[in-house]
Amino acid sequence: MWGLLRTRTCLRYSETLLHQPWKKNVGFCSLSAVDGRNCLLDLPDIEKVLTDIKADDVKVIPVPKHCDWADFMVLATGRSTWHVKNIAQALIYKAPHPPFFAKQKQRGAERMMLPSVEGEAGGKWIVIDSGKVIVHALDEKARAYYNLEGLWTRGTIQNEPDGDLKKALVKVRRKNNSKKPAQKSA
Amino acid sequence: MIQPQTHLNVADNSGARELMCIRIIGASNRRYAHIGDIIVAVIKEAVPNTPLERSEVVRAVIVRTCKELKRDNGMIIRYDDNAAVVIDQEGNPKGTRIFGAIARELRQLNFTKIVSLAPEVL
Repeated sequence: MWGLLRTRTCLRYSETLLHQPWKKNVGFCSLSAVDGRNCLLDLPDIEKVLTDIKADDVKVIPVPKHCDWADFMVLATGRSTWHVKNIAQALIYKAPHPPFFAKQKQRGAERMMLPSVEGEAGGKWIVIDSGKVIVHALDEKARAYYNLEGLWTRGTIQNEPDGDLKKALVKVRRKNNSKKPAQKSA
Repeated sequence: MIQPQTHLNVADNSGARELMCIRIIGASNRRYAHIGDIIVAVIKEAVPNTPLERSEVVRAVIVRTCKELKRDNGMIIRYDDNAAVVIDQEGNPKGTRIFGAIARELRQLNFTKIVSLAPEVL
């Protein structure tokens, strides 16, 4: 039985090695897919692409220590939805194309291909997730609305949304819309 | 295990406070939704003077479930409540901040926006 188990583990290892070249610490943990130190786009590359395509107000924010899921957030503003889409396109073009390892039927981590792109249809906020560096391309309104700098540069993000949280948790009595006259409790 | 008629808390500052699932998006006759699935929900309770109102139909992503979430390495995550984040048709969250801990499976399911707004990622 142990032999069987061992052969299975061997198989699993070789499979993961074959299919996911960007994975560094291969193991049973499927989450290592994202935690791997390997990254498709590195910071100087990203900065160069962003300056080439004239993205405004580029900011690189190191992620606080307690958040281990990424190292850097890059924020960039586009002037229009087309500009935002072009920023995303340029970054994807820059990333080396991995071989087509992800099968369509696989789910979750196994299926995830890097760099993964999110929000391409809208063009208001596009996120390019290339492992350890996450690039956010936003238009001006979205950037002001979400205020990602405020969230990530404060450092102590735990106590940041305190005001909002307190407001959200206050219970308010529902408005009385009924036609009946309110009974007076005299 | 979220199914139609399940009530969920809202884990963001969009202005909704309680949702009720009315449909799970995916296959045609899907029974249950889990973490990272999109549902159609109706707002049962909302904060006054916010853009979202009671009895409005919205889309939402489930971020926390009482039903345990199993990982390949044997880790099991179980929350105390069922909670969802309100999104629009394009997948942008309606709120600007997210409350509470969130599982990192959401990132693999292409909800990086929600993960990047969250205060804590498990």
